Amino acid sequence: MLSRHVTKDISAYCHGELSSEKSKLFAEHIISCSKCRTEFEEVKLGVKLAEQLPRLSAPDYLWTELETLLTQQPTTTSARPSRYWPWQMKAAAAAMLLLMSSWGVWLVYTNRSYPIQTDNGKPAWIVKRLDGAPTIGSEKISNNGQLAVGEWLETDGNSRAQIEVSSIGNVDIDENTRVRLLESHPTEHRLELARGKMSARIWAPPRLFFVNTPSAVAADLGCAYTLEVDDHGASLLHVTAGWVALELRDRESIVPAGAACETRPGLGPGTPYFEDSSPAFRNALKDVDFDPDAATRSTALVMMLEQARPRDTLTLWHLLPRVNGDERVRVYEKMAALSPPPQGVTQDGVLRLDQQMLDTWKQALEPAWIGVGKGMLKPIAESYWKVKNGLSRRLKDMTPK
Amino acid sequence: MVMAEQLIDGRVIEACQQGDRAAFQLLFETYKDRVFSIAVYSSGGDRAIADDVTQQIFLKLFTAIRQFRGDAEFTTWLYRLVVNACLDEKRRRRRLLPWGEEVALRNPSDKKPQEKQYARLEVSQAVQAAIAELKPKFRLPILLKYIEGLSYEEIASVMGCSKGTVASRLNRGHSQLAKRLSHLNNQSLWSE
Repeated sequence: MLSRHVTKDISAYCHGELSSEKSKLFAEHIISCSKCRTEFEEVKLGVKLAEQLPRLSAPDYLWTELETLLTQQPTTTSARPSRYWPWQMKAAAAAMLLLMSSWGVWLVYTNRSYPIQTDNGKPAWIVKRLDGAPTIGSEKISNNGQLAVGEWLETDGNSRAQIEVSSIGNVDIDENTRVRLLESHPTEHRLELARGKMSARIWAPPRLFFVNTPSAVAADLGCAYTLEVDDHGASLLHVTAGWVALELRDRESIVPAGAACETRPGLGPGTPYFEDSSPAFRNALKDVDFDPDAATRSTALVMMLEQARPRDTLTLWHLLPRVNGDERVRVYEKMAALSPPPQGVTQDGVLRLDQQMLDTWKQALEPAWIGVGKGMLKPIAESYWKVKNGLSRRLKDMTPK
Repeated sequence: MVMAEQLIDGRVIEACQQGDRAAFQLLFETYKDRVFSIAVYSSGGDRAIADDVTQQIFLKLFTAIRQFRGDAEFTTWLYRLVVNACLDEKRRRRRLLPWGEEVALRNPSDKKPQEKQYARLEVSQAVQAAIAELKPKFRLPILLKYIEGLSYEEIASVMGCSKGTVASRLNRGHSQLAKRLSHLNNQSLWSE
C-alpha cells in the first residue's frame, strides 16, 4: 500500500491512466485513508457530471458561410490538379483500419489494464472459459470472449466462466447462471445477475462495482463475496472479505466478512447475520424478515433474542429500525446487555432512531463484528473501510490458480 | 474515434494543402461538431460566438494547413488551433458571457424527479453552465477529455504542458464541478 496520499492521481485513476500495479496500490490506499477517500468521492462526482456533457451539432449553414469566406481568401497555391481521389483515400483508410484492428487485438491480449471496447465502441470485459461452453448472446465462446454492455453471458449445467472486471477485479460465473453487463464506466461498473451464482473479488475503492439482482443491488465496498439468485428472484449473499452493501430503495444491509444476507423480491434485503450463529437464531431471523404473519414474526424475535451472542449485535443493530414499539425496546435491551452503548448514545435516542447515535454505536460494535482485538479499536472504529488493509494480498491468495 | 475521422489520412491532408475544396469539406464535416462543441462550452453557451469561433478556426486551418509538416498528430495540431482560438476569444471579450437563459441553472426543488428524461436534461444543462464558469485552464482539459476523448498525453501535447499538469488540472476541474453541483449528487438523476 502507498503510504503517501494519492489525491493527485484520482482523475488519472478514474480515467484508467494509471498502470495496473499503480491502480491496485491506489485502490488499497483509498480504502484505508479517509482523507483521500473523501477527495476521491468528490472527484468521482465531478467525473460523473462531466460525462453528462453532450457533443453538440454544428449548424448546417456553417459550411455555406465558410465556403464564401474561403472564396475570399487569397490563394497562394498553384492550380495544379489535386492528387486526391476518394478510392485511394478509402483504400488507405481500409489499410489503416486493418492495422488498427491488429493493434487492438494485440492490445487486448497484452495489456488489459482498462476496459476494452468492441468494434462498435461499446465498453466490454474479457471473458475466459473455465469449463464447458458458456455463451455470450447466442454464440459459444472458445477460450476467450468479449462481453459488451447490454450482452448476456450464460452458462449451462456443465460450463463456467470468469469475467475480468476492467482493472478492478474478477468474477467467477458458476453453472446455470445468467448475467448481463449493464455499464462499464470509470466511475461505475454494473452487472445484472438474473439467476445462478457468481463469486466476485474486487480490489477497488468502495462503490465502483455493483450487481443488480431481482430483489436488491449489491454494492461492493472493497471485498470478496458470492451472490446467488434463485428462479424466484430471491438472492443470498455470502461475504468472505471486506464489506458489501445490499440496497433496495431506502432499505440497506451492510454485510461484513463472515456474514450473509438474504433478499426477497418486493421486500428487498433482509437482515444480515453471521454464518457461525446458531441454526435456531438463523431460522428465527428468516421468520422475522420474511414471514407474513405478525404473530409468527413476534415469536421468532423472542427466540432470536434468546440466542443472540455479542457478535450478533450486527443483526440486532440492523433490526432496530425494522421493528416497532415494544419489539424495538426489547432489541435495544438485548443489545445493551451484550454490548453497552458508548458514551453519548442514549436509550431514548436509539428508540427514536437518531442516526448519529445509531452510527456511533455501530462504530463501537464493528470490532466485534470483524473479529479484532481491543488494541485495534480506535483505528478500526474510525471507518470500517480500514479493515481492508492487506486485502489485496489476501485476494491474491484467494484467486484460483 | 468515429469512422469519418479514420478517413482523414495523409492523402486528405495533402489534398487540403494543395487547396482541394472537396478534401477540405471532408475535413470540416469530420471535425465540425467537436470544434463547435468546444467553442460553445468555451463561450459560455453563446452559439453566435461559437459560430464565429468555429469559422475562424477552420479559416485558420485552411490557410495554415500548408505549414502542417506531419511531425505531430493532425488532431493534436488542430486542437492546438482550437484551444488558442478559444483563449483568444476569451481575451478579446475580457470575460465570459453568462450562459443563455434557456440553460440557466434551475432551482433543484423545481424538478419533477419522476420525469427521468427531464432530470437528465437538467443535469446536462447544469453541467454545461458549471463548465462555462470554470477557468479556461481547468475547462479546456475537461472539454478535450470528454468531448474529444483525448488521452492525458494528447491533452498535454495540445496544451503544451506535462501529463502531471493535465492530471492536476482535471482533478481541480472535477472537484470544482462537484462543489458547484453537489445538489445533483443523486444517483437516480443519471442511473438507468
